[in-house]
Amino acid sequence: MKIIKSKRSEIFDIELNKDLLARNRRLAKENRKRFDHSNILAIDIMGSIGSGKTSLIKSILKRLGLGKKVAVIAGDLTTTIDAERIEKEGARVIQVNTGKECHLDANLIRQAIERMKLGGVKVLFVENVGNLICPGEFPLGAHKRVVVISVTEGAYTLIKHPYIFREADVIVLNKIDLAKAMKVNSFQLEKDAKKINPNVPFIKTNALSGMGVSKIINVLGLRT
Amino acid sequence: MHEFSVSSEIVKNVLDATQKNKGGKVLSIQLEIGELTFLNVEQVTFWIIELFKGSVAEGAEVKIKTINARIHCKVCGYKGGIRSGQKNSLRHLALCSCPKCNSFQFKTERGQECVLRRIKAVK
Ligand SMILES: Nc1nc2c(ncn2[C@@H]2O[C@H](COP(=O)(O)OP(=O)(O)OP(=O)(O)O)[C@@H](O)[C@H]2O)c(=O)[nH]1
Ligand SMILES: [Mg+2]
Ligand SMILES: [Zn+2]
Repeated sequence: MKIIKSKRSEIFDIELNKDLLARNRRLAKENRKRFDHSNILAIDIMGSIGSGKTSLIKSILKRLGLGKKVAVIAGDLTTTIDAERIEKEGARVIQVNTGKECHLDANLIRQAIERMKLGGVKVLFVENVGNLICPGEFPLGAHKRVVVISVTEGAYTLIKHPYIFREADVIVLNKIDLAKAMKVNSFQLEKDAKKINPNVPFIKTNALSGMGVSKIINVLGLRT
Repeated sequence: MHEFSVSSEIVKNVLDATQKNKGGKVLSIQLEIGELTFLNVEQVTFWIIELFKGSVAEGAEVKIKTINARIHCKVCGYKGGIRSGQKNSLRHLALCSCPKCNSFQFKTERGQECVLRRIKAVK
């Protein structure tokens, strides 16, 4: 009789216990340390597609007039359109293409700040990829997180996506000039915001005329 | 929402770890995904199986355990799970608020993980 030796001994386990989302949170903390070390105020601008993130950054830069003391990381899937638009305001701009990715992550920001000369920079804006879902799960290490929506997305943006607003330090309702045409009640949206995040500043803006933009500058502590 | 990128990273980690250890063929992998992540378990499974194709992990079994959330409400002090319902669906997460007082102001103590626990391989 032949004894067939069990092959089980050739099976082995590799224990990894690796949390892939925790890695991003860890990198975000490292980014934050770097910003603090260099005395840079970092602001993550998140929000829906086309809600006016780039327009608002441009409008804020115009008002601040800080030139190259402001840096902007422009996240975009593939194009450099936003980076070029922002560059016209005199800030240092670096483009980060995420390719297929629906959000920026802390590692992309880490690489961008390594490539960027941050000497003399006081404020860093990061324009995240237009998306109300994923960026919420991927903190970048910014001190403040702004979520920009606009009336053109309709009346239910906040209650449909409470998660990202829970994490926000400032909520901006842009394109307020179009509220009437869109039949959107901005007060209801403000009520929804207060329900999700009771203490958050809710600012109504028109990024093209600049209305409300100085309020954003104030709550972000950008007045020098 | 970002199942593809997370799955790609899992696959990369599995293949790297297998190569660094004794090599061989991957039989199964074990993952744990928190209830409060934006990751849909079925989609993650689908992508991992797809991405494994043509590698030493082709055909490996993908086992995923859901980790129940634990929250701490800042308004009423509630500590515990969220409303049970559709696990791991975006809708469920979107409606996620304190089951006692409905507040959205809570700290997440558990449920945000995506852990690659272990790999079973054969030489
Ligand atoms: N009427 C009106 N139009 C605006 C306002 N703000 C921005 N827009 C217009 O909305 C469009 C999108 O603005 P962007 O600033 O590119 O929006 P974005 O959020 O950066 O877009 P993505 O980066 O592509 O997601 C542009 O045509 C702007 O001119 C506003 O307050 N009112
Ligand atoms: Mg833009
Ligand atoms: Zn509660």
